[in-house]
Amino acid sequence: MDKYQYQAVRIMEYVMLVAAIILIIFGKITGDTFFLRLATEALIFGGLALSVDLLLGIVGLLSLGQALYFGFGAYLSALILRDWVPSFWLCILLVAISSAILGWVTSYIALRSKGVYFALISFGLAQVFAKSIYNTRALGASDGMVGVPIVQIPLPFLTLNLGDAITFFVVTFILMSCIYFALKYFLYTPLGRIWGGVRSNESRLPYLGYNTQTPKRIAFILAAIVAGVSGALYPMLRGFVSPELMYFSVSGNAVITVVLGGVGTLIGSLFGSSLLMILKSIIGTLTFHHHIVIGLLFIVVVIFAPKGIVGILCTKLKERATR
Amino acid sequence: MLESLQYIYAPQIINGLSIGVAVILMALGLTIIFGLLDVINMSHGEFYAAGAFLGVSLMGLGISFWWTLIIVPLLLVPFGYLMQELLIKKVFHHKDRHILTLLLTFGVATILEDLYKVIWGANTAKPATPITGASEVLGVMFPNYRLFLMMFGALLIFAVWLLIYKTSIGSIVRAATLDRNMSASLGIPVNRVYALTFAFGVALAALSGVLLAPIYSVFPTMGKDFILMAFAVVIVGGLGSIKGAVIAGLLLTQLQSLSSLFISPVWSDPIVFAVMVLVLMFKPSGLYAGMKNG
Repeated sequence: MDKYQYQAVRIMEYVMLVAAIILIIFGKITGDTFFLRLATEALIFGGLALSVDLLLGIVGLLSLGQALYFGFGAYLSALILRDWVPSFWLCILLVAISSAILGWVTSYIALRSKGVYFALISFGLAQVFAKSIYNTRALGASDGMVGVPIVQIPLPFLTLNLGDAITFFVVTFILMSCIYFALKYFLYTPLGRIWGGVRSNESRLPYLGYNTQTPKRIAFILAAIVAGVSGALYPMLRGFVSPELMYFSVSGNAVITVVLGGVGTLIGSLFGSSLLMILKSIIGTLTFHHHIVIGLLFIVVVIFAPKGIVGILCTKLKERATR
Repeated sequence: MLESLQYIYAPQIINGLSIGVAVILMALGLTIIFGLLDVINMSHGEFYAAGAFLGVSLMGLGISFWWTLIIVPLLLVPFGYLMQELLIKKVFHHKDRHILTLLLTFGVATILEDLYKVIWGANTAKPATPITGASEVLGVMFPNYRLFLMMFGALLIFAVWLLIYKTSIGSIVRAATLDRNMSASLGIPVNRVYALTFAFGVALAALSGVLLAPIYSVFPTMGKDFILMAFAVVIVGGLGSIKGAVIAGLLLTQLQSLSSLFISPVWSDPIVFAVMVLVLMFKPSGLYAGMKNG
């Protein structure tokens, strides 16, 4: 990460923070909840994109099936909240632990392969899971599950009600910030350095005395946890889950989000997700066929700005500094 | 025992074969594009849908089915050529080529799918079957069109194999795959070979769209439903291998149709993908990887 990228990431962190504060004030004054709920959803899918970026941008593994863990988290969260006990903390904790176990088990399948084959095997795994859920009557089959109750979060001094749009947004924002900074912290540990090594030249690392399989497995499990916890928030927001959450379009969208924001920057995932959500809702009000515009946007970004928004910001900063 | 073989297994096997031939046709285009260009074409299913839609429209204009078999693939050749020249070539030498081309073709797929909804509407169309009637095979009746599809498809697959492995055009294509710079210095127009190969893969997808339209219905998302199976076939067979695509195509579609005798057919998709994951676990590059050995 050079000086300019460091600056670009810092700027975008501030932009996100300011945007969140403006949104909260706007919501408080007008009492409008539509945009807040939209922003919350953007952050939730941003969490999924974060996990894709951890694998793709940091370790160099393209996952086309990250929706598997997202959907798993969402279903498990819906089951816990609806049928067992509507407790926020217990739900997040259980989802995190089970996602880690699922990630650990599936890593033994997925990490046998590299490159394109890793992408395809992760895609296949998600497909098996999605189709199995789709066929399971006990999990609502193609209809999914509805009727997830509104959750209260008990804190030492007050109780937060997630039915309130502002509260939910703040909780999601704080949770995603925690995940973001935790992942960023990992980058500066010895483990994070090995990840960078795996990305640049995996076959050389063993010659330097490093085992690459364990760091990759840790990244894979971490990504599963991040995706699972993000998914756990989804039914709390929308009140339902459906098998579409595990479909390829969700995984594919997450990859596109990462590329739009900037691969390997982490903040790009959250930023890209918000931007994509804004674009979708703006274009969606103008025309019924918004997919055409979104598709064109991806093509333009991939061809002209393959480093995403962070990349554009970087070149701008560099131009200004060298002028 | 013999009767159950005749009346239960044989129809399933033959039905599986007719689907298998269609899936292999799709997979051929995918695997050729991957084998030569190292590009995973996510929009392949949409080209298959394009073939089906164009076929239906042309037949609506009064053109016979047999002519559409020739016209539709030819109509899509320039499209495939331009897609390679204008889009994929732009990111071809980038170090993240796999990811970027995957995203590019994904973007194209998103646009095309929505475009079909604009042009042809979200409704389902079903063209009339060009060959009517049924014939008796092994004492069981089969629609003539399915029998035609099997023969024609098998011929077509064989023709593609001949083209790539037994003609001078094929050796030029394979040479360009093997060593781009060496081929270029021997006077092969490598970029044009790449673009034409992409167009050829697209045309194959369109052709399978035309062929399958009378059996399955025609609707904007039809590509999505079918492409997953074709992907599984290509992955199990080994990216870039024609022999692998044929063997895996037959294997997976038989598995799909025979397994539906014992368990609910909705579980056939998870089974196919589970087999795909299993194959990748033990042979991470598929049964036969690469274009080298057929």
